[in-house]
Amino acid sequence: MDFKEIDYLLELARMELSSQEKEKIALDLEKILDYVKQLQELDTNDVEPMTGGTLLENICREDKLDEEKQDVSRELKQSASNLENDSFKIPPIF
Amino acid sequence: MIKEIHNKLINKEITATELIEGYFQTINEKDNQIKAFLTLTKDSALEQAKKTDEKIKKGKGINVLEGIPYAVKDNMLVKGVKTTAGSKILENYTASFDSTVIKKLKEQGAVLLGKTNMDEFAMGSSTENSAFFTTKNPHDLERVPGGSSGGSAASVASKMSVFALGSDTGGSIRQPAGFCGVVGFKPSYGTVSRYGLIAMASSLDIIGPFTENVEDAEIVFKSIAGKDAMDSTSQDVLSPLNETQNIQNTVFGLPKEYFQEGLDNKIKKTIEGIIEKIKSQGATVKEVNLPSTPYALSCYYIIMPAEVSSNLARFDGIRYSPINDYFNLHDIYFKTRGQGFGAEVRRRIVLGTYVLSSGYYDAYYKKAQQVRRLIAQEFDKVFKEVDFLITPTSPTFPFKIGEKADDPLSMYLSDIFTVSANIAGIPAINLPCGQADNLPINMQIIGPYLSDFSLLNISKTIENIIS
Repeated sequence: MDFKEIDYLLELARMELSSQEKEKIALDLEKILDYVKQLQELDTNDVEPMTGGTLLENICREDKLDEEKQDVSRELKQSASNLENDSFKIPPIF
Repeated sequence: MIKEIHNKLINKEITATELIEGYFQTINEKDNQIKAFLTLTKDSALEQAKKTDEKIKKGKGINVLEGIPYAVKDNMLVKGVKTTAGSKILENYTASFDSTVIKKLKEQGAVLLGKTNMDEFAMGSSTENSAFFTTKNPHDLERVPGGSSGGSAASVASKMSVFALGSDTGGSIRQPAGFCGVVGFKPSYGTVSRYGLIAMASSLDIIGPFTENVEDAEIVFKSIAGKDAMDSTSQDVLSPLNETQNIQNTVFGLPKEYFQEGLDNKIKKTIEGIIEKIKSQGATVKEVNLPSTPYALSCYYIIMPAEVSSNLARFDGIRYSPINDYFNLHDIYFKTRGQGFGAEVRRRIVLGTYVLSSGYYDAYYKKAQQVRRLIAQEFDKVFKEVDFLITPTSPTFPFKIGEKADDPLSMYLSDIFTVSANIAGIPAINLPCGQADNLPINMQIIGPYLSDFSLLNISKTIENIIS
């Protein structure tokens, strides 16, 4: 795995790494991918992927505002330091 | 242990305040060395103890958990208390609500002593990945307590708490319970609400107890289990399938893939000794095959990082921590995440991003999900033949601090016997079953999906046979 590939993954993951760590991660990933490639030995033709831990159906609720939970929403936002008029304030995107 | 303390409280042999003060004294004496706790909640603990004492004084009945001191892994939210998940990125985060497990324990009057140390975001098998410090194994301070719930395991093993909660994604309750020589129970997936548990891999994560014995694990599990409107994957547990199940009419399976090379010989011999005792009590024990077992760890190390990379996207430097003064949004994301996450978390995010990325998705992620089904089906099949499986919990004794820190793959192999239960969503328990060179030896009992209470019942019987 080369630097270009690691850079692409870091761009997707929105994460900055030092070039020293990129080298180490490239090596670690190669080792791990080499280990997990044993899965290719198994025949999984016609096997339905298992996506979750339960056999339960998805549960949906109506998209309605719960007035009682307004306080929770406000408290949740308090963990961010830069709030203005109940909204997150961030620097310019571009 | 819990019932014993409960009886002392209601018989007024000890007050809740004395009990709690005693535990904080033990923490004071021992935790300088063991380092199980990240945060102590002494004020609220003494407040709760006072309430319990008043109730008892007035002659009111109390719940079995009322006044009982416990600790909780630092990835579960407790309103108004710092919750770090062992990470620098959440160093200053205070929870704004209670997780469902905490809400339930509060309602029952259990007394929270503090939050315990863990591998960052529950990623690790030793607590060495904590951004703050490494917890020590109470049996040998030069060794790791296991992980990722190492602080919770060590707190129970060193009697700094009566019980503790941990979370188990690939073995993070059972492996540290084993390394510290206490009971650790990983319930069936979905039987305990994950609301307020900081997510690692949502399709694998489950909360469960660390205790000194199986009866206590059952008491704690009963009090935290059940369907919760705040977690759509949660569900009720089945009551014991067969209340009268006894050892004579129980069939145990020994999956031969768990007893092969790589398993420490002393561990193997001890478990074989216990199996002989179980047989002599009249149980049927037979060898079974779980041929996909060698593939479970590979399957886990694709599915788990994939979910990690997605779950940890929320830590963007904006919502959970003070925003650093960077010029643009790009820098906030890239620098906060690059500096705020530790090495193992960064490694798993990159790995997860890789297996989910276009071009590799089918070869890795989809393949792993298919293998996941094969593994789950294999368990379904074997549980038509046997009631429970007996295996070792860990192939080795607790390793020395630093021994595996630089080699991620060898660290991952610590979970080799525990990951399968998470992949299949089935319950499993760690039972201490002996000692060698002053280090604990353990076995794991695995049951079918939702057989939690039956598994706990049979574990009590085996616990008696062991002692």
